[in-house]
Amino acid sequence: MPEKTSPRWAWLRAQETGLAIPLVLLIIIIGLVNPLFFDPQNIIDVLRNTSFMFIVAAAMTFVLIAAGLDLSVGSVLAFGGIVGSMVIAAGAPIILGMIVGVLTGAAIGFINGFVVVKFGIPPLIVTLGMMYAGQGAVLVVTRGTPVYPLPAAFNAIGQGNFAGIPYVILIAAVIGIVAHIVLTRTTYGRMVFATGGNAETSRLSGINVNFVNLSVYILTGIASTFVGMLMASRLASAQPGAGAGWELQVIAAVIIGGTSMFGGSGSILGSLLGVLFMNVVSTGMIMMRISAYWQNLVVGVIIVVAVGIDQYRRRKMA
Amino acid sequence: MRRILETGMVRPVASGEKILVMQNIKKEFFGVPVLKDVTLKLAAGEILGLVGENGAGKSTLMKILSGAYGCDSYEGEIMVNGVAQRFHSKTDSEHAGIEMIYQEISLHLDLTVAENIYLGCLPQKRRGWVDWKRLYAEADRALALVGLNLNSRSRVRSLSTSQQQLLSIAKALVRNPKILVLDEPTSALTESETRTLLGLLRGLRDRGIASIYISHKLDEVFAIVDRMTVMRDGNIVANYEQGKIDPEKVVEDMVGRKIENMYPKGQAQKGAEVLRVRNLTVPHPLAPQKNIVENVGFSLHQGEVLGLAGLVGAGRSELVNAIFGAIPTRGRAEIYVEGKLTKISRPLDAIQAGLGLVTEDRRKSGFVGTLKVDKNISLASLKRLSAHGFVKRRQERADVKKYADKLRIKLRGLEDSVLALSGGNQQKVVLAKWLMRDVKVLFLDEPTRGIDVGAKVEIYSLINDLAQKGVGIVMISSELPELISVCDRFLVLAKGHIQDEFDRGQASQERIMKAATGLAR
Repeated sequence: MPEKTSPRWAWLRAQETGLAIPLVLLIIIIGLVNPLFFDPQNIIDVLRNTSFMFIVAAAMTFVLIAAGLDLSVGSVLAFGGIVGSMVIAAGAPIILGMIVGVLTGAAIGFINGFVVVKFGIPPLIVTLGMMYAGQGAVLVVTRGTPVYPLPAAFNAIGQGNFAGIPYVILIAAVIGIVAHIVLTRTTYGRMVFATGGNAETSRLSGINVNFVNLSVYILTGIASTFVGMLMASRLASAQPGAGAGWELQVIAAVIIGGTSMFGGSGSILGSLLGVLFMNVVSTGMIMMRISAYWQNLVVGVIIVVAVGIDQYRRRKMA
Repeated sequence: MRRILETGMVRPVASGEKILVMQNIKKEFFGVPVLKDVTLKLAAGEILGLVGENGAGKSTLMKILSGAYGCDSYEGEIMVNGVAQRFHSKTDSEHAGIEMIYQEISLHLDLTVAENIYLGCLPQKRRGWVDWKRLYAEADRALALVGLNLNSRSRVRSLSTSQQQLLSIAKALVRNPKILVLDEPTSALTESETRTLLGLLRGLRDRGIASIYISHKLDEVFAIVDRMTVMRDGNIVANYEQGKIDPEKVVEDMVGRKIENMYPKGQAQKGAEVLRVRNLTVPHPLAPQKNIVENVGFSLHQGEVLGLAGLVGAGRSELVNAIFGAIPTRGRAEIYVEGKLTKISRPLDAIQAGLGLVTEDRRKSGFVGTLKVDKNISLASLKRLSAHGFVKRRQERADVKKYADKLRIKLRGLEDSVLALSGGNQQKVVLAKWLMRDVKVLFLDEPTRGIDVGAKVEIYSLINDLAQKGVGIVMISSELPELISVCDRFLVLAKGHIQDEFDRGQASQERIMKAATGLAR
């Protein structure tokens, strides 16, 4: 039996610590090679990029804990950004455009979840289909051209700062805190963990498993389209290619952050570290003047190594 | 391909020849010794019974023998036929002629029966080409050997649990083992299947195959073994020769204390009717045209423990699951809870009406392995334990602690992993989940399956306590002595109908078996 760890050292055994230590080491190494990494502007850039992806990753954490999977987030992000921006570009109030964009995401998430729950089709297939359908819908609507111009007031959301900190980072921080509280403190969060851990036991214990499985896809739908709007605002235009390839990056980040692919365990903090890790690696490689061509190769290795370490730790603790 | 099912293959066996010696085996986990210098010897053509409570070290010892714990993880020596062996993996131990049959069945559900039996040693025509004709012919003979009347081309998924268990025994036998280890092989079998299996083992013994037989069902062990070894706390505490086995003494050895009364039975006051079921019909889960339960009705009173007897596959589990709303019913069933007609179309409806269900497979549908003990216990009470959508952690912990203490669940802390607990403690966690809801009716489906004697007694007295508090209990058990001792009234289910109904006074194993096998009418 492992000895009881005193509470002071309990954090050392926490799931997230496994990732935090290499992350800190990585940051130190990059900083030593190129001190410009610690430049405030660079730090803000890294955090801003992290923020966009983290918002989607926070929702994806719910999906994976509930033993689901959502491959459609990238194309839903693009689609939501475009729909919302078109409403705004047509002269409607900004808030209305935001609401339409986000509702689009909720509707797409509902379709994903409904098909998964009602017809029992594996989420991998359903959301893969939605990924293609979303990409198609984007091209049908835009014919491949960006949506712009957008009003300056809208662009200010993605470009503006408060006391030097971009709004985007603040928004992501608030979302992250709310997501953490919902996951760890509410009955909904508890139901997500239970359903992902053992759906049959949960159902027999009176938990509405179908509701849980449906709702998590609505969360990713909303989060993706919301980020789509934020990115449109940041770039002052909604790009048809936004979010391309995000589905796998987000899932990779969440899993690197210690969330189980088999459902039942995971954390928002872990997902934050996972996304941060991915962004530090890609920025760091640029700053260490490593060819961009190497990036995917390195990320690929990291994913496998991170999950391998995590499984090893689990086996040792079990 | 070895021709192995020839019945004429009788090998003369020198009596007393030690086919297996496990010498001075010591093993620790994280510095805690689980096997303290254990020496086990097995003669060819002998059946050795190995008994002990869960956690006594039986499984660990057998995992060492099977190579699941490699030879570098323990101290001591294993000799097979006088040759020292170092098993690095299960394959090594299989090569030495040791076959394991586990309680948990590990078959490939989407392969055919024949493929499962010969997996890894499929008969071949030329190198790389399967001889399908011979495969099915050989498989049919292997099935006949274990008394299974099955098409060897059918998929394993369509088999019942007991058929799967017999199949895994057939699978072990075709590998021509010298030593067979059976870990709770009959937990999923009916009485007649158990008899077939025991007969089979005797036949193997006569052909010189040695077996180690691990079971909590002591009557079976007493009936079949030549010798018996009792383990407790990582030691061997007693050895008995056949004919000198004293059942009460064995139980004492196992638990390390005297059990005065295996089945404490209190007197509960029978109160008002708490559950009445009428016209319940349940479609067969594997053959939707057929009904596994047909037009069944019964009633249950407060403080009453109703025993539901029948063979595996008679529809006992389906009956309680259908009342609970866990599986669909057919037609118009009427369920009255405390006299009130209650519509139950999903488990949540049943739970809100005051029903609880402890399923037969706690791992699959009793607890959530990824949740800690506390969150498993509170799983069905989340609504009561929350305010505005937030879980009231302090109250949750207090309530969980109350029930964990009441049920004497052995824990280091409430945040222990359920998976780390023994079977008995896991079952108590599942029970605590329902006690926390103050259920009016509790369905217990094989509540003592695979748990040790001490925990069984605790669960029996818990059933008594609940009955005395006025809870109505429906209990399913394949262990007839247990069922007869615990229950007040009995229903025997066979062919989808209630075949017989009688009170405690008229109950006997014979009467139950007669009704269950359809001999009563």
